[in-house]
Amino acid sequence: MSFHNFVGHDDAKLALILNAIDASCGGVLFIGEKGSGKSTLARMFPGLLPDGVPFTNLPQNAMEEALLGGIDLENTIKNGRNVQSAGLLQRAGGGIVYVDDINLIAPEIITLLMKAHGNIRSFEENNGSKPDQPFPFTIIASMNPDEGPLSSHFMDRFGMCVLWEGLKEREQKIAVMKRALNGTGAGINEDDELRRIIQTARRNLKEINVPLKIRDIIADACIKNSTAGHRGDIFLFYAARAYAAFCKETEMTARHVDGVLPLVLLHRKRALQQTKRDDTQKQRHHEKPENEKNGNEHGQGNGHEPLQNRRNVQNDHDRDDAGQDKKPPRQSSDAEKIFDVGADFKVRRLTFRKDRINRAASGRRTKTGSSGKRGRYIKSILSPNNDIAVDATIRAAAPFQTIRGRKELLIIKHEDLRFKRREKKMGHLVIFVVDGSGSMGAQKRMVETKGAIQSLLMDCCQKRDKVALIVFRKNKADVVLPPTGSVKMASRRLLEIPTGGKTPLTAGLLGTYNLISRVHKRSPETRFLIVLVTDGRANQSLTDMPVREEIPKMAGLLCELPSTDYIVIDTEDKKTFTRVDLAGEIAAMLRADYYQIDDLKANYLTEIVQNKKSVGI
Amino acid sequence: MIFPFTAIVGQEEMKIGLIVNVIDPSIGGLLIMGEKGTAKSTAVRSLAELLPELTVVKGCPFNCDPDGILCTDCKETLKTEEHLHRAKKKMRMVELPLGITEDRLIGTLDIEHALKKGEKRFESGILADANRNFLYVDEVNLLEDHIVDLLLDSAAMGINSVEREGVSFTHPAKFILVGTMNPEEGDLRPQLIDRFGLCVQVASIADKEMRMEILRRKALFDAVPENFIMSWLDEQKILAEKIIDAQSAINNIAVPDTVLEKIVTVTAPLNLDGHRADIVIMKASRALAAFRGQDSITAENIREAARLALPHRMKRLPFETTDSEKEKLASLLQEIMP
Repeated sequence: MSFHNFVGHDDAKLALILNAIDASCGGVLFIGEKGSGKSTLARMFPGLLPDGVPFTNLPQNAMEEALLGGIDLENTIKNGRNVQSAGLLQRAGGGIVYVDDINLIAPEIITLLMKAHGNIRSFEENNGSKPDQPFPFTIIASMNPDEGPLSSHFMDRFGMCVLWEGLKEREQKIAVMKRALNGTGAGINEDDELRRIIQTARRNLKEINVPLKIRDIIADACIKNSTAGHRGDIFLFYAARAYAAFCKETEMTARHVDGVLPLVLLHRKRALQQTKRDDTQKQRHHEKPENEKNGNEHGQGNGHEPLQNRRNVQNDHDRDDAGQDKKPPRQSSDAEKIFDVGADFKVRRLTFRKDRINRAASGRRTKTGSSGKRGRYIKSILSPNNDIAVDATIRAAAPFQTIRGRKELLIIKHEDLRFKRREKKMGHLVIFVVDGSGSMGAQKRMVETKGAIQSLLMDCCQKRDKVALIVFRKNKADVVLPPTGSVKMASRRLLEIPTGGKTPLTAGLLGTYNLISRVHKRSPETRFLIVLVTDGRANQSLTDMPVREEIPKMAGLLCELPSTDYIVIDTEDKKTFTRVDLAGEIAAMLRADYYQIDDLKANYLTEIVQNKKSVGI
Repeated sequence: MIFPFTAIVGQEEMKIGLIVNVIDPSIGGLLIMGEKGTAKSTAVRSLAELLPELTVVKGCPFNCDPDGILCTDCKETLKTEEHLHRAKKKMRMVELPLGITEDRLIGTLDIEHALKKGEKRFESGILADANRNFLYVDEVNLLEDHIVDLLLDSAAMGINSVEREGVSFTHPAKFILVGTMNPEEGDLRPQLIDRFGLCVQVASIADKEMRMEILRRKALFDAVPENFIMSWLDEQKILAEKIIDAQSAINNIAVPDTVLEKIVTVTAPLNLDGHRADIVIMKASRALAAFRGQDSITAENIREAARLALPHRMKRLPFETTDSEKEKLASLLQEIMP
C-alpha cells in the first residue's frame, strides 16, 4: 500500500511529511479510535524518508536497559573489560522512532524516550554530535484514548497532534476497502515524487526567507490560543517553515502558519478553556460550544479537514490536563460550593490526590515486587527482592570474569546480583454501595440512580476495571455482585435491585469494609473506589447503639483502609423540612467527594470516576 | 493421533470460520464464544493436521518462510552463505496457556547458555512457535492485561521485536489467532475483541441423532484410531484440496464496486468504530466464494461473511444479550439484502 493512496486523513499525512522535512517539527501523536488506520499510515512513513534515516520500532516489551544500551555480554567477557553496546535510542539517533499504543507503555520508558527526544535539533546539526550526547530523533506515536490516558506532560512534548476518526463517508469507506485489497502497486510513482519533493524541501529549508512579521503572526496565534509555555511558538515556527518548503516557496507567509496551526496547537489549546473556567466559573457543559467554535476557526483557510466533531477527544484532553493543574487543594467538607461549581472543584481536588496516590503507589510497588512475580519486567535494580534479574546479573558479572579466573562457567558473586523491577498496572475495583431502602423508591430516585450507575458500569468495564455491587436494605447488606469484569453480569444484577424496607447504613458500610479487606488480602495492589449511594436516612442499627453513633465508628474503620477513595452520592430530597443531611456528614468522615442527586447526570458521573482513577496511573 | 476434522459432527459455523481464515490469513483470526466440550480445540488441532506442510528454513526455530520475511538469524545466514536450506514442517496448533509469563511469550535471553558459555543467545518463545501456525488462546478473556498488550503488539505487526534483557532480536510472528471465551466469565477489552477478524458462537448440539453420532464416532476413534482415520482419509483429502484451490483462487475473484456498496450498506447503520469490519467482510466473502468454487461473490457470501464478522463488533447496550443481538443482525441483513 502506498502513502499517496491512503484514503483521507490529509492532516495526518501533512504532519508526517512536515516531520520528514524537518526533524525540528517535534514528532506527531495520532489519537483515535481502534481500527481507523493510525498504525497503517505511520508504518508507511519510512517510505518517505531519505535513504539512511533509521526507522526504529519501540515494542511494548522494551526495557529501560534496551533503550539506553549497556554491557555487551560476549565482548565484555572475551576482552575482560567493559564493552558497551548501543541501545535502541542510540541506534535510532537522527531518525524516527515509532511507538504504537504509547499510552500502554510504562511511564518510566516514555520518560526516557522523551528526554532524548526533547532535544530540538535538525538532522544536519546532529551529524557532528558526539556519541555521549543525547541522540535527537523524531517520535511518531499512536494511541487509542479508550485504553487509558497519556499524561498531558508527555503529550505536550509532541510537536503535532492529530485526532483520528474512522471515515464515515460511503465513498471513502469503499475506497478504504479497495486499498486494503489491492495492497502494493498503485501509487508507488506518486510516492516517489513525494519523496523527491521532501528531499528538495529538506535542502531548501535553511534558505527560506522569514519576514519579521511572521514572528508576530506566530506570537499572535499562540496568545490568541493561550498556549502554555513556549513550545507552541517554537513548534509552530518550524512546522510553518517546513510547510513553506513543502509548498516550494521561498518565503514564509501567514498562509503557512494557518496551514499548520491546527496540527501544532490542537493539543495545547486547552489552556484557553482553563483560563476561561477560572474567570467565569463556568461549568464544563457550557464550554462545549466554545470548543467547537475554536476548532472551526482553526479549520478555516488551511485546506484541510476542519476539526469539528472532535469534541469527545478534546474533552479527554481537558480531563488529562486537569490532573496536571497546579493549584492548592480545597477542603472537601465545603459541600455547598462543590454543588455549584462541579468542574472547578474537580480540578483542584485532583492535584491533591495525585501527590498522595503517587507516593502510595510506589510504596506499594516495592512491596508487591517481593510478594508476587507478576507484571511487566521493565528494568533491573540493585535493591534486593526475591525476584532475581538473571540477565542483568550476568551482565554485571561479565567484566570481572577474567579477573575472577573463569574457566567455563561464569563466576557470579553476591555483589553482581540484580533484581527485577516490575511494572504493575494497578487494578481498580469500583464498589457501588447502594441504598435499597423504601425511601429510595420515592420519586423515582432509584430509576435515576440506576441509570447513572449503568453508564458508569459500562465505562468501568471498558477501561478494564472490575466492579462489585453491594445493596443494603431491611436489616442487612448483600454483596449482590462479587468483583467481576463482566458488564453483562453487573447490569443484570443492577436491574434486579429491589427497593423497600429500612435503611441499615452501618451494615452497608460494614459489608463494604469486609469486601475490601478480603480483596486486599488476595491482591494487595488493587486500588479501590467506593461509590456510596444513599439518602442518608439511616434507621436500622447493627448493634444496640444508635445509628448516629455507629456510623462514625464504621467510617473511621473505612478511613484506615489502604488505597481506597470514596465518593458519596446523596439522594435525599433537599426541599423537605425533615431532611437529615447525614450523607454529607458521612462524606466528611470518609474524606469523600460529595455529590447530590442533581449532579447525577450520567456523563458527569462517569467523568468524576474517570478522573479519580486516571490520577493513579 | 488427531481426530479427523471432517469427522467432527455439526458446529458448521466454527468450521467455516476456521477454514476461511486458512484461505486468507489476513482476515485476522477467529473468536469462539461458548461452552466447554464443544470440540473447539479439536477442530483447530485437526484442521492444522489436515493442511499441507509448510516450507521453512531448515533448523530455524521461527519457521521462517525462505521466500518471506526472515528473522535476524536467517538474515545473517542469507548474507554470509547466500542461500537458505529448505525443509518441510507440519502446521500445528500452538497453545498459549493462561498463566504465561512475558519471557515465555516473546522469548528471552538463554540464561543457561549465557552462564555456561558467556555468550548471548536468544531463546525463542511462544510467538516464535506460533509463526505460520495457529495460536490458540483458551479463555482469552482471562489473560493478563500486559500479556494481551504484548500479544496484540506483535499480532498487529506480524513481527515480534524483542528489546529486553540485553537481547535485541526480530522475527516474523504471523499466526492465525484463535481465542475462546465464555462470556459469563467477563468481557474482552473492545480493542482486543476488534482484532479478531471473525466470531462464532458454539453450543452443544441439541439434536438427539447428532449427539448419538458424536458418541458413535468418538467410540470408533478411541477403539482403533488408525482405522478411524483411514476411513476418513478421502474426505480429508477432498477438503484439503478444496482449501488449497481456494487459496490460489482468491486472487482471481474480482471484488466489484457493487459488492463493496453492499458491504457498506450493511455496516453503515451500525455505526462501528474504524474500518476493520468492512475489510474483514470483504475478505471473508471473497474467501467463501473461493471455497464454494464460485468465480464471483454473491449476496449470500456477503450475508454469511457479515454474520461471522459483525456479532462481536456490534455496539450493544449491556442488558442486551448476544442472542438479541443475533436477531437484530439477522433482521438487518434480511432488510438490506433480501
